[in-house]
Amino acid sequence: MSWGLIFATTKIFHFSHALTLTLAVYAAVLAAGPWGIGLPAGFALAAGAGCLVGLATELAVYRPLRRVHASQLNIFLASLGLLIAGQSAVLIAFGPQARALEGFPMTGIALGPVAFTTIEALWVVASWLLIGLLMAWLWRTRHGRAIRAVASNPELAQCLGVDRERVFLLVFAVGSALAGVGGALLALRDTASPTMGVPPVLAAFIAVFLGGIGSIPGAALGGVVLGLAENMGGLVLPGYWQGVIAFVVLFVVLVVRPSGILGARGR
Amino acid sequence: MDFWVHVLNMILLLSILGMSLNLLLGYSGLVSMAHAAFFGVGAYAAALSARHLGLPFPLTLVVAVALTTVLAGLVTLPALRVRGEYLILLTLAFQMVLYELMLAWVDLTAGRTGISGIPRPRLFGRALVTPLEFLPLIALCALGAFAIAWRIGESPFGRVLKAMRDDERATLAIGKSVLRGKVLVFCLSGGLVGVAAALFAHYQAFINPFSFTLDRSIFLVALVVLGGTANLAGTLVGALLFVGLPEVLRFLQARPEIVDAVRDLVFGVLLMLFMRFRPEGLLPERAGLGIVGRAAAPAPGPARATDWLSLSRSALGGAELPLRAEGLEKHFGGIKAADGLGLTLPRGKVTALVGPNGAGKTTVFNLLTGLLPPDSGMVALHGRDVTRLAPWRRVRSGLARTFQDVRLFERMTVLDNVLAAVPDQPGEHLGPLFLAPWRVAAAERRNREKALGYLAFVGLAHRANEVAASLAFGEQKLVALARLVATEADVLLLDEPAAGVDAQWVQRILELIRRLAAAGKTVCLVEHNLEVVTAVADRAYFMDAGRIIAEGRPEELMADPRLGEIYFGKARR
Repeated sequence: MSWGLIFATTKIFHFSHALTLTLAVYAAVLAAGPWGIGLPAGFALAAGAGCLVGLATELAVYRPLRRVHASQLNIFLASLGLLIAGQSAVLIAFGPQARALEGFPMTGIALGPVAFTTIEALWVVASWLLIGLLMAWLWRTRHGRAIRAVASNPELAQCLGVDRERVFLLVFAVGSALAGVGGALLALRDTASPTMGVPPVLAAFIAVFLGGIGSIPGAALGGVVLGLAENMGGLVLPGYWQGVIAFVVLFVVLVVRPSGILGARGR
Repeated sequence: MDFWVHVLNMILLLSILGMSLNLLLGYSGLVSMAHAAFFGVGAYAAALSARHLGLPFPLTLVVAVALTTVLAGLVTLPALRVRGEYLILLTLAFQMVLYELMLAWVDLTAGRTGISGIPRPRLFGRALVTPLEFLPLIALCALGAFAIAWRIGESPFGRVLKAMRDDERATLAIGKSVLRGKVLVFCLSGGLVGVAAALFAHYQAFINPFSFTLDRSIFLVALVVLGGTANLAGTLVGALLFVGLPEVLRFLQARPEIVDAVRDLVFGVLLMLFMRFRPEGLLPERAGLGIVGRAAAPAPGPARATDWLSLSRSALGGAELPLRAEGLEKHFGGIKAADGLGLTLPRGKVTALVGPNGAGKTTVFNLLTGLLPPDSGMVALHGRDVTRLAPWRRVRSGLARTFQDVRLFERMTVLDNVLAAVPDQPGEHLGPLFLAPWRVAAAERRNREKALGYLAFVGLAHRANEVAASLAFGEQKLVALARLVATEADVLLLDEPAAGVDAQWVQRILELIRRLAAAGKTVCLVEHNLEVVTAVADRAYFMDAGRIIAEGRPEELMADPRLGEIYFGKARR
């Protein structure tokens, strides 16, 4: 949803969201490990770092490009450039090895026939909480309304006195902070590495397009559909086919219903 | 020595891939994030067919090329969505699926272990083993790939691709199939990848999935963009930098484990900086085909220019009413944009569509040209029902239009804009392009002369070699008119031909419209400026709320107080 929020509002195919996520997670890893200020502070730091990286990206890369009227393709390419540059900078600074985000007690929980870990329980609770908060913010507050206005019609919103550039900044701040927290959540189980940001962001691309571009609840729905498809498919097919399922689902949706599940029909 | 030859070989292989991608990215404006995966599929195809089927080298190359061609063609399956962010996502999906399959389909690909012992090719009775022995083969293939890519990019077909890149709707409006262009260019690009892939598999004698990751795809995009889009020499430079940079770093005795990371860092930063300060890349695209650029524009006399006007898709002397529409209906939600609309356009006359804003005038054009499918009703062109015909096919049968917002192909020259619209160019088909180049060259000479004639007709022959975007708005409208005439259609729909244009140009445009009608064209225009309508139109339809409510000579319609009220609103008078 964090990527969907940015994409729906700014129309930027923000590939280097993956870098935002990675950098935020490294901040959390450093906080919880070497700096020893504890995991909760690490999460806060991840949100903060994500927010800063997102803002810096918007201000230093995207805004100057928009000023020279770069095409969407060129902005995407710049985003790719930022991603590969950032990934290799992380690699040079921290080395290629994976680092664990320490400090969360992981134990198994069994509820009848269902077994899961405390981390997975945290994932479920935290992600629904964040989604709920985001939706409430978007639908109940003035800022949220401004964002939705810019997302649906930037020119008109501007005519009504909504400052597009400020809304973009806001969206990058919020979306990137969310990505930071989400990344830290993931890293609890899967460890941090320089390229860790790419798979979750790819999943986000797919979820957003499945749900329908521009529809923020659609992104959440797309995520749910994607997760279900992957895991249901996993029951039938051998485990290593799981990675393929998501993309096959996407391909089928793009061919059959190109506007996405919740997307507007027609133009 | 061997080491540097190896570096050279890798540069050549990479530049084949780069050229293949440049055809898509540079010439056609289509992104592929899946080139590394296509490369992988080709490599596996070559490796497996050599190992398990015992095929000798040139045949494995054929297998690889066939497979990558088909695979790349599959990308164009969701036809309408093959552009912009959809294409990024679609090709990303291809990249990930194929990569995962290479890892996971262990029975076929041996997963992470990879395939080793791929036999070395035997040519002229001896096996090629060392990099030096491989060099001639790779160089030859690279040269071939370069020749093919150049031939495609810098040909009439390439011109259609560039037109498609600059504006898809306008490409349809000059009677060229966008879908055909996309399918062909993806297949061709895939085929070139197959060549590089087969060479790579045999050269390395070992492959595993890690050579075909998303990162590889990204870097391929980066090197094409840095080198220069739509410039093949630029791609060669890009490949040279990409392979050369780490070697230079190694030479400078950088720590080996960071060499690649430093290169990636440099490429990433360069990519960002180039997008901001030099988006065209190191070696920018040359606007216009080389041959055209050198041709001094000989201005043909105006008399000859008028001769070209009588060229027409359908034999003149057909029906006196070339275009007839009946009962056209189109609803957008609750709004009736066209409500049982019928009209006829007589030959050699100028018919105007007038009416207040929102009356549905542009919708009528969209329905007639097929950009919008009607809910019901029919359109007949020269007595033939074309209601179900694709927009670009209608242009080929003689019904073409201009756009209110001009829609020139901005990065192409004025001449190429017009030249692209000339119908039936043999150079747009791959067969003649590669098998009968002399026919293509002769047709190109003829068509260029024609295009210059059309430009002379609108009075812009002297600006033929300038990039379209550099022209003033009024001049752009004139180029659009020349481009319209170049389609050789005989029913011409003009969407606000004089709107937003300085007075000095308006007179010129009106004069041209009159001459078109005098030459036997059927002209219909949408116009808000009533002076323009009275000055040029022989008859007019008055539209309101999706219906035609009156028909007659423009002066008669304007004298009708009822229509005046609708047009200007009741408050007036």
